Amino acid sequence: MSLHVDVEVEVDRFRLEAEFLAEPGETVGLLGPNGAGKSTLVSVLAGLTQPAEGRVELDGSVLDDRAAHVHMNPEERSVGIVFQDLLLFPHLTAQDNVAFPLRARGVPAHEATDRARVLLGRLGVGERAHARPAELSGGEAQRVALARALVAEPRLLLLDEPLSALDVRARGRIKSLVRDTLRTFPGVRLLVTHDPVEAAMLSDRLVLLEEGRVTQTGTPDEIRRAPRTSFAADLVGVNFFAGRLERADEGTARLVTSAGEIVVAWPSDLPERSEDAIGVLRPIDISLHLQPPEGSARNVFRGRVVGIEIAGDRARVQVDSSPLLVAEITLGSISRLGLVEGTDVWASFKAVEVDLLPP
Amino acid sequence: MKRLVAVGAAALTLIAVGCGSSDEPTSAAGGNQEREITVFAASSLTAAFTQIGSDFEAANPRLTVTFNFGPSDGLAGQIESEGVADVFASASPTWMDDLASATGVTQRTDFARNKLVIITPPDDPAGIGSIDDLADPGLQLVLAAVGVPVGDYARQVLRNAGIAKAAAANVVSNERDDASVVAKIASGEADTGIVYASDVTESVAPTVHSIEIPGDVNVIATYPIAVVDGAKSSDLARAFVRYVSGPDGQATLRAFGFLPPT
Amino acid sequence: MPAVLALIAGFGVALVALPLIGLIIRTPWSRAGDILGSASARTALRLSLIVATASALVGLLVAFPLAWALARSQFRGKALVRALVVLPLVMPPVVGGVALLSAFGRRGLVGGPLYDVFGLQITFTVWAAVLASTFVSFPLLVLALEVGLRSLDVRLEDAASTMGAARWYVLRRVTLPLLAPQIAAGLVLAWARALGEFGATITFAGNLPGRTQTLPLAVFEQLQTDPGGAIALSLLLVTVSLVVIVTLRGRFLQTR
Repeated sequence: MSLHVDVEVEVDRFRLEAEFLAEPGETVGLLGPNGAGKSTLVSVLAGLTQPAEGRVELDGSVLDDRAAHVHMNPEERSVGIVFQDLLLFPHLTAQDNVAFPLRARGVPAHEATDRARVLLGRLGVGERAHARPAELSGGEAQRVALARALVAEPRLLLLDEPLSALDVRARGRIKSLVRDTLRTFPGVRLLVTHDPVEAAMLSDRLVLLEEGRVTQTGTPDEIRRAPRTSFAADLVGVNFFAGRLERADEGTARLVTSAGEIVVAWPSDLPERSEDAIGVLRPIDISLHLQPPEGSARNVFRGRVVGIEIAGDRARVQVDSSPLLVAEITLGSISRLGLVEGTDVWASFKAVEVDLLPP
Repeated sequence: MKRLVAVGAAALTLIAVGCGSSDEPTSAAGGNQEREITVFAASSLTAAFTQIGSDFEAANPRLTVTFNFGPSDGLAGQIESEGVADVFASASPTWMDDLASATGVTQRTDFARNKLVIITPPDDPAGIGSIDDLADPGLQLVLAAVGVPVGDYARQVLRNAGIAKAAAANVVSNERDDASVVAKIASGEADTGIVYASDVTESVAPTVHSIEIPGDVNVIATYPIAVVDGAKSSDLARAFVRYVSGPDGQATLRAFGFLPPT
Repeated sequence: MPAVLALIAGFGVALVALPLIGLIIRTPWSRAGDILGSASARTALRLSLIVATASALVGLLVAFPLAWALARSQFRGKALVRALVVLPLVMPPVVGGVALLSAFGRRGLVGGPLYDVFGLQITFTVWAAVLASTFVSFPLLVLALEVGLRSLDVRLEDAASTMGAARWYVLRRVTLPLLAPQIAAGLVLAWARALGEFGATITFAGNLPGRTQTLPLAVFEQLQTDPGGAIALSLLLVTVSLVVIVTLRGRFLQTR
């Protein structure tokens, strides 16, 4: 019942290599910045693009197998897609839009219309069945698109940026609907998005896609604990350092990144030198000062405040030191220090607070 | 904005109506010698009159003769409504009478006659031997339209031969002039047609096969020419008409297959 | 809208309206009833309507695949094909008629063998009138359809195929319905052009009442003998065209 993807795709001069597995019963979130290759992957799963190499298998059916010259046409696949721009047919009513996948497969008109109407009702837009897409609100259109993807009971449900087109109010309502729909959908569920919050909320497992490669997979928690790329770290909101690890004095080491050096605690179980070391530092472990601090912290960096984000009674302060740092302090501290954008500060943290991740 | 659009339209309308309703000015009473004459002539006269025109121009330097060839009925109508012709040469008296009663003509002379002839494509696919064959069922016959002189004459010929009804059933097209009939036959598109003998010129002769119509059945067309009343250059127009009736003009007409006027 | 432009637009309207007004003024209203009710007028009108409608429909059949190829496919010689398609529009219709004769006449490239082997002759029949009218009007359909196809969001067709629709189903249920406004616009234009076609018809099809004498040909013939009658017939032709265009514009050409 699962989806297994292992492909290399070339579109224009963009190259995508992706391998992952999605089991039924879990929602896999394909998360990556724009240009990472998400739309290409959607296109491959839909059957609109053929991979240059590799294999796609869904529920025992081979959708693509380059080596064996197998390619299943889109119309033969059992995939329900909610497209990024919805792509509702403008010349059909909501009901006819939803009935389309059934009618296209030969289901008689009245049966298709009945099933469409029932599904629209279940998703809360039953009374808009005879409206044209142009007359629907953003949220209503999203529900219709969702119904259309579900109506033919596909084995793979694919949601491409399902919330991106909605305004904040509609997003909240639709989010719960999408989450419930995903939970009750019996087949394989795949969510494609660039929004980490959306991904974290709706997915059980994440597949991170950057510049055409899968850089990390795991549950949101697993990734939070051990992000493997700066993108992943940004996702989970930690400070991320990658570089060369060199032993220094007294049980410490230097992590030499392209933006600067930080001092970390020497890990006993690591070799003397390491080329690809990753260090992760929680924002809450960074202190900010208006004067150069004195103390045991081995890492002190000077910089200007370039951004302040308030979240409840906490604030995340971005400092343009080298390397860049994001510190989390209380609102009280902000006013006590009189921090505004442009303020000169010193950021400090202890060597032991940096988590070195195993390679 | 809509008002301005309406104003523009109204202004143009007024200008146009104002201009259109005035009469054509005749030549100045003080007699500025116009060096150009316009001749409307039946299309069967195209080749002959073009030659006559250049001969006339050669004999009268700094003079231009402009021709408008077409079916006589159409030309008469044009002269009556637009009035830009100095000379009218018709393929039948009917249309000259028409013009005479409408606009008026002077110096009317019969200047040539023309008889009709049957033509077929060079290989004569339908095997026409004589006028009676035109009654054969399934034949494709092309004539000029009713109202065009050669069309009326041809139908007269068919009546004379007693096959009017049978031949009429064979007509597949009513052309607007004799040249179009010749074109249809020369290209092999239809089986046969009836045109003027003068239409079978030197250049046309190799492209069609001609069959004589017996004298007792044939129609002889009389061509009148006249100066149109109110012509801009009536002196020159008169000179042209004289030339056409004179020995040079007549010789040219003979060379192009026309019969003398009497 | 700036005043100058409005004024010029007014002249533009006058340019089109004046000839029509002239027709109306010159029509011999006292005789008009007899002329328009005459058998030849009615025959010519009926023939014109049949030929124009047939031309528009045949034109649509021919134009659609062509427009598709031009809008969607890449192939060598595409520029040449496009130029060929536009040619009948810029060619003088009589020249078009002569060209048709050389291809489909009794001694033509294709018409010759057809006649010699099967005894089939297209000239002097109503089919010739249809062919002549189609020849001059189908480029309008190709252009309208090509524009429509280009402006169509191809993603909608892709989406349809992911919903289980085979290619013909997509064409029938997605592409064509979305193209309906352009198809209608093209049909109206082609129909109107076909209705007014003269030069190619008289050259290729000939002029015979009941078979090939469409209304424009009848007008031309009338012009020789009875200009007043010709004007009445012209007014009839213009009125018919106007009625059809205005009616169809209202019903089918509204954009969604």
